[in-house]
This record gives sequence, structure tokens and C-alpha cells, in this order.
Amino acid sequence: MNGQIGVYICECGPNIKDRIDIDKVIEDISSLGDVKTVKRFPLLCSNDGKKFLEEEIKKEDLSHLVVAACSPREHEKTFMDVCEQADFNPYLFQLINIREHCAWMISDKNEATAKAIKYIRAGIRRVALHRPLEKKEIESIPDVLVIGGGVSGLEASLSLAGKDRRVYLVEKTGSLGGMAKKLSQLLPNQGSNLSLIDEKVEQVHNNENILVSTSSTVGDVRGFLGNFEIVIHTDGETSGFRKAQVGAIVVATGFDVFDPEENSQYGYGIDNVFTAQEFEEQIKSGNVLLKSGKPPESVAIIHCVGRKERGYCSKVCCCYSIKFAHYLKDNLSNVNVSELYVDLCLPHKSDQEYFEEAKKKGVHFVRSEEEINVNQKGDQIEVEYHSEGKTDSIVVDMVVLAPAMIPSGDTPELAHLLNIPLDKSGFFKEIHEVLDPISTPIEGIYIAGCATGPKNIPESIVQSQAASGKILSSLIPGEKIVPEVKVSEIREEFCTGCQTCLSVCFYGAIRFDSFKGISVVNEAICRGCGSCVGSCPSGAIRSKHFTYPQLYREILEALR
Amino acid sequence: MDTEFKPNIVGFLCNWCSYAGADLAGSSKMEIEPSLSVIRVMCSSRINSNLVLSSLLWGADGVLVAGCHPGDCHYERGNYYARRRFALLKKILEVLDLEPDRLQLSWISASEGKRYSEVVNTFAEHISQAGPNSLAHNPKV
Repeated sequence: MNGQIGVYICECGPNIKDRIDIDKVIEDISSLGDVKTVKRFPLLCSNDGKKFLEEEIKKEDLSHLVVAACSPREHEKTFMDVCEQADFNPYLFQLINIREHCAWMISDKNEATAKAIKYIRAGIRRVALHRPLEKKEIESIPDVLVIGGGVSGLEASLSLAGKDRRVYLVEKTGSLGGMAKKLSQLLPNQGSNLSLIDEKVEQVHNNENILVSTSSTVGDVRGFLGNFEIVIHTDGETSGFRKAQVGAIVVATGFDVFDPEENSQYGYGIDNVFTAQEFEEQIKSGNVLLKSGKPPESVAIIHCVGRKERGYCSKVCCCYSIKFAHYLKDNLSNVNVSELYVDLCLPHKSDQEYFEEAKKKGVHFVRSEEEINVNQKGDQIEVEYHSEGKTDSIVVDMVVLAPAMIPSGDTPELAHLLNIPLDKSGFFKEIHEVLDPISTPIEGIYIAGCATGPKNIPESIVQSQAASGKILSSLIPGEKIVPEVKVSEIREEFCTGCQTCLSVCFYGAIRFDSFKGISVVNEAICRGCGSCVGSCPSGAIRSKHFTYPQLYREILEALR
Repeated sequence: MDTEFKPNIVGFLCNWCSYAGADLAGSSKMEIEPSLSVIRVMCSSRINSNLVLSSLLWGADGVLVAGCHPGDCHYERGNYYARRRFALLKKILEVLDLEPDRLQLSWISASEGKRYSEVVNTFAEHISQAGPNSLAHNPKV
């Protein structure tokens, strides 16, 4: 090294200037070898500051740049952009945080100044080892794989195809429409009609940008954002497989329902005890009848079936149970309807009114504890429940059970195939339940609808539209993808082929080259966490920008 | 010479949680013991025994490794690897009678500025009382 490092200290208005003796810092730093120039500036992130820095980089012919200012979480990107403007490789730059970590957390000015000097020295020693890193650009494919042909999958397919993306829609059953197709009607208070689902199915079939594969599953997925290679397996009449390339994937695999046979207390198996899904079929056929062929004179609808077993509320059952009560009251004269619930969940703006209307029609709502026992009593059914410390019971002709939504059966296999995690309930796990509910840790793979947990139809549609929006804005035809630059690389000559790195890489970015007997990093997939570097027993893996020598230099300066 | 012992502590913080927590402690103007020097890494799983033991051998009186809370890792499970690695390392230090208390692993989220200040100040206090690291020798670099 021959003295070409430029060090620039930001005063950050009064923030740094008042709390750190910048002149003293300059005096100390200037004496270091390799340092060409040390200067201060009132506010480096301002337009004037950025212009100043850009001119300095050019004028001083710097080999490396150190900026002592705020947190890299705040302005690292800003100054990297300045580097690029100045035709200077941004990875030859290091930002030192003397604001948050010195000026603002150490009130003694002398101590804060000493600390700032320490950090800047470490930065100078470290940056001297920085090598230019080059951004790579990768071609991306704008097409999308949508897994699941229910409401969520249909909506995602239509949104994407509407913007001329080719969509591969894979549905495991023989037809599109998913669980919604099994309903007798949508919730009338939400102003929608079931024929809208049929319309969506028809639109999907008629859209030439959407290639529908029913009775099909996804057999293989390899690759990364912009470049996934997929294999679709189809059974039945047109059995075979199709290979395709897509840039992104939407997982819209929906849900299954809790099997009430799992717990005998729900009485499933007794004559005239039906699940909600079976009851929907009866409504669809237009005949709600008992086994005897007579219409029921009394019906108990039991909410929260499977809630305690599964540990969560399924959110939609209260509303459809109220829908059932309305149907019964409107279609059977003198029928007595009771709803037994643990907690009532009426989350949408029109639900409360729908509930009040049911009460007006004479539906009994009974709050019960979770222990409900359904038993045969002669030709009838006795439902025993506990309420406010007392045990009570009603005797009815028919019982309808509202079972919990559970993860779709093939969720674990698909999670394994796509390398995305599951939550403790067995649903797909979103990056953040509140702040990023449709993303997964794998870039380019999104989840929509009930695949992440119970949702109603409008919520599922919103998620599909959101996932489509993410894809449409991140995968633009003709635009290339720039993967993370600060990735890991394996030095062939040191790799012993132990494959420890493969086992710790969450992203599947490392593969084993069995011919050479070494591990190889796919830089397009690597996210640069450094887990493999930390785990490599032979020190064969280098984390670009966080190499051992760079970190050692920081340690030594910290200990000086 | 009766000067007060001022420890030198190395703190490896992950970029996404703990470093952000430290930033928050700073922007909340919390008073933090200056004896800890921060080294930013992307994930706590980048840190291994090489880095920790080098720090101790080169004179660190304490080493703090801080990452995201279990379940919150930006890279999904890096902090679990860190946890396992340090449980093992601590055990080894214990067996060799090398003062395992000089190594601490903590979880500090991006919103826990207060926790950052507590962890650092408590650890610094603990190390101050423990006295200088007897292992240390400073190589000429």
C-alpha cells in the first residue's frame, strides 16, 4: 500500500461536531501510513456534501475511501452511490459510525473522541484490504408458476396474465375453483355471488397467457429469483411432465379442514351429525333433510370444532355458521336453530349486522366452553355444553360442525421442495405476519391466501393481488437482476469436501461438485450471511467484504 | 501506578438486529460504556471460535456476540448456528479452565436499544470486576 486512502469526517451539523473533537481526530488519523488526506465537511449526505465527496475521490486519486459519519444502516447506500458517480468501486469504501456509536452514546467528549479515533483507525486498516467487487447482471424470466387453482391462485394468475406474463397454473385436483367451488353460496352480506368464482375459472381457461395443468403437481424446482427451472407432473388422461422456466412462484395451496373424527366429543359418525362442508352440499341440493327423509325441526351449529386441538381461530366459521342459520330460518318453517360458540369472530364491517339479523330471526347464540359433547339420544342428538360454570344440554334433530382450517395435506412436501419454512401450526411461514405477510425467505417465492393460515375470500384475493404486484414490479421483462455482491466464495485449493457448508446454507446456494470433490457456491443464490464461512473447518470459504483478515484488523484496532 | 482497570471488549453485532439495536441506543442518547468496540457482521453465524479466540488471545478482556432473537434471524436460522457454536465453545473454555465468562452471547433486536445498553453496560461491569484477561498477549502485527 502506498498512501492513497482518503478519510472524510462528517460534522453532521452539530451532532458530531459538538460531541467529538474533530480536529483532534484529524491530527491523530493524519499521521497514519497509507492515509493520503483527512478532511472534515459540515454535512456529507447533503447535495453539497455528495458533490464534494465525488470531486475529492477524483481529484485525490484515492485507492480507498473511509467516511466517518452515521450508521451504515442510514447512509452506506448514499455514499456507495456517490462512489459509483465518481467511477470508483463502491466496495473500496467503508463507512464508520461515529455518530450513533460514539457521539450519541458517550457523553464524555474526550472518551467519545478516543472511541471515534479507534473506530476510524479500524476502518482505515480494514479498508486497505478491500478489493473491488463487481456487480453481476443476470437475465430474468418474467413468467410465473402459480401453485394451486383456488380463489387465490385464480386471482394471482389473472392479475399476472393481465400484464402479459405467461402463467403456469398447477392444480392438484381435476378442476379449478378450489374450496370455494364447494360452497352453496358466498356470504350474502359481503355482496358477492358464487357465480363470480365460476367467472374467474372461465376467464382463466380462456386466457391464452395462462397454461392450466389440472391433476398436476410440481415435481421439481431449482434456481433463484428470475431463473427457476420447474417440472410439472400431470396424472390422468394427459399424464406426463412439462419443463418450464419461470422467474417467480406464487404458492396458493389453500387449506384442508380438520377431521372431527379426531376427537369423539364432536359426535361425528352419529346419524345427522354433519360437517359444514357436507351441510353446504345439502343446501346446494336444495334439500336439508335428516336420514329419515324429514326436514329437521331443530339444528345445533357448533363453532370452534378443532380450535383447541389446533390452537388457533379459523376466522371464517362464525360467518358461515350464521349463513347456515339464515338459510335454515329462511327455508324451513318453525325450525329451531342454536349456535354454540367459544368466541365469536366477526371481523368485517358488515358481519355484526349479519349476526344481529340472525338473532332477530330467533337464532339462539350460546356461549360455551370448549368442552362440548355430542351424543346420540334416541332418534335425536344431545349436545352437552358448559357455560358460566354450569353444565347444560340441548336436544336437537341435526348437528352441523364447523371445523377448523388446517394446512393443505401436501404442505410439508412442498415446503421441502421450495425450501421455505413452516410455522408451528404447519402452515407456510411468511417473512413477517404483520409487515411482510406474502414474502418467503426465498426471493421470488411468494405465498397467498390460506397457505399461510385461515383467511376469508376477500383477504385471500388481496394477498394474491399483492403477490402479483410484487412480481410485476420486481421482474420486469428485459430488465436484468443484480444479485447480492458480498457473497461467499469457496477456494478450491483449501476445500476438503466435508460438505459442512451445505448443511448450514439455508438458501441451498452451495452444491457439491462430486467430480472435483469440493463445494461450490452459486453466487446468484447466496445472500451473504456468512454461516458457511463460520462453519468451514478448513477456512476455505471467504466471505467477500467480511474476510478473516478484514475482521482481524478490526479486532486488533479495537484492542489497541 | 494505581490506575483504574479499563477493559477492552470486542462486540460482534449482526447487521439486522443487534447493530440496529445499538444504533437505536445511540439515537436514544443512552449512555453506553465505551470499553466495548463494535464490529459489524451480517449475521451472528459468521462468528466462530477463530474470531472469538483470536480476540481473547490478542488481549480482549471480553467478547460479546449478539444476534437476532431465536426465530427472528434475517437469514432464518443463522442465530441457531451461533447458539450451538457458542454453547460448545463455552464448554471447551470451561474444560480448559479459560474463564468462559469472558464470552457472552446475547439476543438483541432492532427495537431493543434499552436492552443493548443494559447488556453492554452489565457485561462491561462484569468484565471490569473480573480484571484483565490473563490469556492475552499482543502479537506484533
